[in-house]
Amino acid sequence: MKKLKKIAVILLMTLISGLGGYYYLISESPFTMAIPLLIGGFFIFNLIIRKSLAFKEYFTSEYNFFTAKARMEQSYDISKELMFEKIKEVIDESDFKLVEADKDKFEILAISRITFKSWGENLYISFETRGNETIMKFCSSTLFQVSSWGKNEKNYEALLNEIETSLTV
Amino acid sequence: MSIVVNLDVMLAKRKLKLKELSEKVGVSTVNLSILKQGKVKAIRFSTLDAICLALDCQPGDILEYVE
Repeated sequence: MKKLKKIAVILLMTLISGLGGYYYLISESPFTMAIPLLIGGFFIFNLIIRKSLAFKEYFTSEYNFFTAKARMEQSYDISKELMFEKIKEVIDESDFKLVEADKDKFEILAISRITFKSWGENLYISFETRGNETIMKFCSSTLFQVSSWGKNEKNYEALLNEIETSLTV
Repeated sequence: MSIVVNLDVMLAKRKLKLKELSEKVGVSTVNLSILKQGKVKAIRFSTLDAICLALDCQPGDILEYVE
């Protein structure tokens, strides 16, 4: 299966580069090549910086028009410290991959791979205490896409369901 | 909630730590901590069975109904 995936990726890359070359040949001005190069470069840039909490603001900013964002809040009457550890456990057992967990800032970054089920989301979770409750703020951002066609919401709702299920011990 | 979890009392009686119970029962310390605080949504019979076995007690020693 892994070999098939690799072959599919190589074929796709060849097709894209072939189309790029063809586009370059038929275009009257070489400057038109700048557009696909810019898009490709932007995509690779996002792909590189996604695995760090330091770029949270970049991905979740409302001024970043190139990422689709879905936000949600959920509250639990469990302490922030305990909920932080709980979410780490849940993420480990889910389709998401835990990339970074900052215990000082109470922030978690989990990512999903680019598959048929997912566009490759960045899921940022922050924890806040309000009275006796812990408010978890979820922000799911696509890697490089204006709309997620509901896949973003579907994936993190699945994670929320897993959190609910995990509260049955 | 009127169901009180007395897991901490039983742990103290048996002189066991939460981590030790976690290893015996096969439930994570995080889940046991949440259970200890009575914040879980539900408890499986299998978990209750394992806790009773590890602590050599009855379910009533762990769970108590308070009006």
